[in-house]
Amino acid sequence: MVSGKWVFLLATHHFPLTTKITAMQQEDFSPQDSLKIIQSMLEKTREDFSRDDFYFLVWGWVTFIACTGQFVLKNLVKYPGHYLVWWIVVPAVALTIHHSIKDEKTSRVKTYIGESMKWLWIGMGISYFVLSMILSKTGWGNAVFPFYILLYGLGTFVSGCFIRFKPLVIGGICAWALAIVAVYLDYDYQMLAGAAAILFSYIIPAYMLRSKTKSVTA
Amino acid sequence: MNEEKEPQLSGEESLKLINEMIGKAKQSYVSKGIASIVWGILIVVCSLLTWMQVQYKIDLGFDVWLLVFIAVIPQLLSSIKEKKQKTFVGHDEITMRYVWTTFGICIFILSFYSYKVYGNNTASLFMMMYGVPTFITGGIFKFKPMILGGLICWGLSVGSLYTPLATDMLFMAACGLFAWLIPGIILWNRYKKNQACNV
Repeated sequence: MVSGKWVFLLATHHFPLTTKITAMQQEDFSPQDSLKIIQSMLEKTREDFSRDDFYFLVWGWVTFIACTGQFVLKNLVKYPGHYLVWWIVVPAVALTIHHSIKDEKTSRVKTYIGESMKWLWIGMGISYFVLSMILSKTGWGNAVFPFYILLYGLGTFVSGCFIRFKPLVIGGICAWALAIVAVYLDYDYQMLAGAAAILFSYIIPAYMLRSKTKSVTA
Repeated sequence: MNEEKEPQLSGEESLKLINEMIGKAKQSYVSKGIASIVWGILIVVCSLLTWMQVQYKIDLGFDVWLLVFIAVIPQLLSSIKEKKQKTFVGHDEITMRYVWTTFGICIFILSFYSYKVYGNNTASLFMMMYGVPTFITGGIFKFKPMILGGLICWGLSVGSLYTPLATDMLFMAACGLFAWLIPGIILWNRYKKNQACNV
């Protein structure tokens, strides 16, 4: 049975308000009709997030490569400019901006979750920037990774809750656990903790999200 | 079987139901601005007391930031009372619950860092963290005072890198004021106005 209350809650969750009101003004709804519309909107939302996994994968792989690359350059190759590997984020920023502009142009329906995700990740982007400024002042040689790992967890945990996708929620919790463990590790091993956190919180959930979306759309 | 008994709603009836639900959701503890006001006052008071201790070398004999835990108790009681009275939870409220619970976890981990490793040099990091949920909440609700509050927190976080600890505490008080106290008062006034209109 679908009561009006639940139709309302589900609808505001997955459904653009303007479409909903226009549709309701035009015709009467049985609970079954409402469910059908909500289901179609759920599929639409999932499709949208299959596009969003691009960002998780780009940033996941870039950060993973940078963390492990710095570890290898510092400890195995003994290269003094090991931190230069982080310049890899510059093309990732360019790619992200390019992709998001392209995304904005393709007219997608705005959903409540989509808007929430947008604000979440704008906020996260600014936070990463501010954190980088703080750490560049306090010194990169100190234990910087626990703070980044903490933010990885924040972004993915909230995203997972928003889209009700457990692997992201679990990934966020794993990142927080690693953020605490990393405090007890030497700087070099904090890099590996960072790589592990990004693997669990970004890369693995993004691939799972992609395969789930594929199976739903198929 | 039950579906047959479910009444058919006309477009107008559905809209009325949605409006009623939105009206009820607006009366929540969060959207009334009470939580925001409580936390705003708390951060302002704790920051100013810490500033006083540092500036005038006064020892109050206890950690003023423990007051945060005292404020959690009435907030928890109020939330439990509200939960019992409610017949439904709006999606807005669930979203905010995720954001602010996550913020709580992050502040806890940051406090752990502060206690364990980094000492008193974490004011900038706390201010950076204050900006995150404030900005997201403002963005999701299209509530400009909170968007601005979040941006001010981040600006002051960067600014505090160049100031001594005593000034950092004044910055932190400003964060509490702009991110929570002022937006909370605005929300409370709106709520009161709405209530007056509905009478």
